[in-house]
Amino acid sequence: MTATTTRTEITTPVEREIHIMRTLNAPRDRVWLAYTEPELLSQWWGRGNKLDIERMEFTRGGHWRYVEHGPEGVSGFEGRFREVTPSERIVRSFEWDGMPAHVAIEYITLTDLGDGRTRVNIVMQMHTPEERDGFLHSGMQQGMDAAFAELDQLLAL
Amino acid sequence: MSALEFGRITRSPKIWRCAKRSAREPLRHAESCHTLNHMVQHSAALDTTFAAVADPVRRGILTLLGRRDASITELAESFEMTLTGIKKHVTILEQTRLVTTKKEGRVRTCRIGPRKLEREAEWIASFQEMIDARFDRLEALLERLPDK
Repeated sequence: MTATTTRTEITTPVEREIHIMRTLNAPRDRVWLAYTEPELLSQWWGRGNKLDIERMEFTRGGHWRYVEHGPEGVSGFEGRFREVTPSERIVRSFEWDGMPAHVAIEYITLTDLGDGRTRVNIVMQMHTPEERDGFLHSGMQQGMDAAFAELDQLLAL
Repeated sequence: MSALEFGRITRSPKIWRCAKRSAREPLRHAESCHTLNHMVQHSAALDTTFAAVADPVRRGILTLLGRRDASITELAESFEMTLTGIKKHVTILEQTRLVTTKKEGRVRTCRIGPRKLEREAEWIASFQEMIDARFDRLEALLERLPDK
């Protein structure tokens, strides 16, 4: 893959995790705002699709739920906050409606690079390798009909 | 439902629609038909794969090999089966490229096949696309945000 298509680095160093790293050309406080202010969050997290922030109780134990309205249908994501350290770190449970009750833990860390840029590191930690594959596979859901996706998931051994 | 029936039921209506739309607007529709053809071919490969993993022992073998390589003897012990019985299952999995085997001396070692690895690479690529799109939007938003 060329540099233009790998703006975000995604690795699977262990079989139950997905690691995501992206450097943003903005100071850390701004990135934090974009992550935590619902009216800002709704403008980017849905990748251009309409995104409803149904719940955003931004405190330890608080519930969050985002619903994305894509061309292929509606997809909900939700969980609860485990840790909120202003400007630095969010730890939360993460569940996708497409795989109900398969809960991942998401660690989001923002690092100030000191030159006006911010590094975002995300670790998604699942219970089993099968769940990890299921989450990876969620990126392929778009453009596939449900039966086909379901069959693929069955084959994802 | 057999694998074949599954393929027929889920694919056919879409193929029919595709053919009708193609006749009406051949050029505009060419691109999506290409995607569909690819999916139909993919679907035929899936039918065979579906049959291969329809058996619980074969699914068990794939799960075990997903963790580590194993010899035919080890597999036979794990699944409490005869060597001949396990060999039959491994052969079916080998035909669908879900498993590969290699004989060294008297031991035949089985490992997870290229199909699984290709799928994983495919998934990571599609996941990457999704995450890239998300962060591209974030970056664009950050540029628009007024200075504090």
